[in-house]
Amino acid sequence: MPAERILIKLAQLTWPEGRTEQITLTSTGKSGGAGEIFAIDTQPHLVAKVYHSTTTPPQLEHYRHKIQWMLNHRPTLPQIPAEYQGIVQLAWPEALILHESRFIGFAMRKIAFDRTLELDYLLNRRQASQEDFDIDYGKLVAVCFNLAAIISCLHSMRIAIVDLKPMNVKVYKSELFVSILDCDGFHIATDEFCSDAPQVTPDYLAPEFQGGAVTHPEAQDRFALATIIFRLLNYGIHPFSGVGVNSRDYPPELAGRIRDRLYPYGTSAHKNVRKVPASVHEALPNPLRELFDRAFSALAINRPSAHEWVGSLSVYAVKQSGQMLPCSRGHLKFSSSKCPTCLRDQLIEGATARRRSFLARMQAAPSRTLKYVKKTLRQTHTSPFQAALAQTQFAAVHLTPRTLMSTRNAIAAEILWVCGLVISYWWTQ
Amino acid sequence: MGLRSGDQLLVDPMTPFMTTTVWVVPLLIAWAWRIRQAATPSAWLLRIAFAGFGAWAIWFGMYAHGGEPSGLLFWKPTLFYWTLAAIAIVAPVLGWTAPAKIIVGAYFVLSSREWRWINRGFASACVMLGTVNLLVASMTSYRNWVDFKFSCLMILLFIGLFRLNFVWLPLFVDLSINLYRRAAVAYRYLSRLI
Repeated sequence: MPAERILIKLAQLTWPEGRTEQITLTSTGKSGGAGEIFAIDTQPHLVAKVYHSTTTPPQLEHYRHKIQWMLNHRPTLPQIPAEYQGIVQLAWPEALILHESRFIGFAMRKIAFDRTLELDYLLNRRQASQEDFDIDYGKLVAVCFNLAAIISCLHSMRIAIVDLKPMNVKVYKSELFVSILDCDGFHIATDEFCSDAPQVTPDYLAPEFQGGAVTHPEAQDRFALATIIFRLLNYGIHPFSGVGVNSRDYPPELAGRIRDRLYPYGTSAHKNVRKVPASVHEALPNPLRELFDRAFSALAINRPSAHEWVGSLSVYAVKQSGQMLPCSRGHLKFSSSKCPTCLRDQLIEGATARRRSFLARMQAAPSRTLKYVKKTLRQTHTSPFQAALAQTQFAAVHLTPRTLMSTRNAIAAEILWVCGLVISYWWTQ
Repeated sequence: MGLRSGDQLLVDPMTPFMTTTVWVVPLLIAWAWRIRQAATPSAWLLRIAFAGFGAWAIWFGMYAHGGEPSGLLFWKPTLFYWTLAAIAIVAPVLGWTAPAKIIVGAYFVLSSREWRWINRGFASACVMLGTVNLLVASMTSYRNWVDFKFSCLMILLFIGLFRLNFVWLPLFVDLSINLYRRAAVAYRYLSRLI
């Protein structure tokens, strides 16, 4: 096994107020599309993102401007109670990093990876339990609420994430707060500074931007936020995954289905697509379903904002509201709807039972067919229905009892009959 | 007596021995496995007619060097249809079983009245086909007459398919069950020996 390459760099940390300090950067082995993550020797609570050496000078200059603006305009985020220590809601830049007086990256607060897990893991209960995180609908709603709250704060400052997807979001396992990564890729559109965000993920890209540029970043964030909330509350099922009524016209990839607005989970059914059988969207409360309908089936202008999501989810996220109650089996559910966990169990168990039954039928088919044929020929059907069926099938045929001798008789008769047919052919052709 | 030079089965010329085997072996099997019951007069009448037609076909189709009499060419189908029609008309008059019942097959459970009507339809169709054959042969071109004859062969195809569906398939199933049962017994016997 090759030894891990450890890269050490000497650099200068420049704080927003102008103070500088010499630091040593040590490679952590983590790398992304734009840069690499380094540990900082004197600042253990920070990490450094150093842009790749292949970054062009104009691009690097743009990054420097953007990071400088971000340092001076820290967003006001939702308040975190004092008892929760070390929660990082945004990996926002804290200081510039220079090397030989040249900008190479920035420092940001370190997210404790042992306390967090990727939001992706919450889409699959088995994966989440492997990470020691037991999912229930109370926790999911809290995560959705916290994510919507952060995005709402960013939007109020005219900052948009654009490439919002579960992989870019971390969740604190105990506290259920969320942390958004890759802040230097955000879209900023203020009066004094503008910076675009070219990175997108097709599965979370709004229909109007599929195949084109994102011209309204906040509308894109609203769509991605609704998609993530839908997946969190519906066992990871993407709002645009479904079963096409006409498979020929049904796009095979999610991006195509989003483009064609093939959303099958609306309060009124879509005529061209059916829901995935395991979906539990019907167990979600009506206010949330209406928001989903507005997000996925209506025009972009009607898409609910992050602030609206905060308002709707807060009712369920606050324990004192009594809007989430345990069901008869102890699962937490929305008080106005049936239990989604029980519903999911029923759907899965039903599907498993149907699969088992189908396999058993398939395995027994040859012997059952043989038995049926034997009974038909012997006219010994016990079931009146089968007897009627057999009678219908051979209604006009009378067969003598099937002993070996009578089969021979029948063959002899048929040989003569074929001879007659051949003679008839010869005389009439 | 010798093999006609043009006689072939599929693509290969046949020797006199092979030619004879092709029609003798099935008849021997049919004789060995025949139903040991007295046949009705109608069945005998049909057997005699088909034996005559068959002998003619075998002789002129397989052995005779000169081929069949040329004057018979246009009359052949008519002769065949009218003979069947005559049997179908005469037998019921004499109080015998409807010949159509023997041709279609006694497997089909129908009342005597229904068989009589089928027999009448069969006789009428034979009379009509025989007559139309002569009319087409005398009033139209040779090519049209050949086309007419081949279109009439579709009737034989339908009769064959009917028989296949209602008689041969159940027979095949029965045979398969017998073979399966015997194979199972043989397997048990052999496994005991081993």
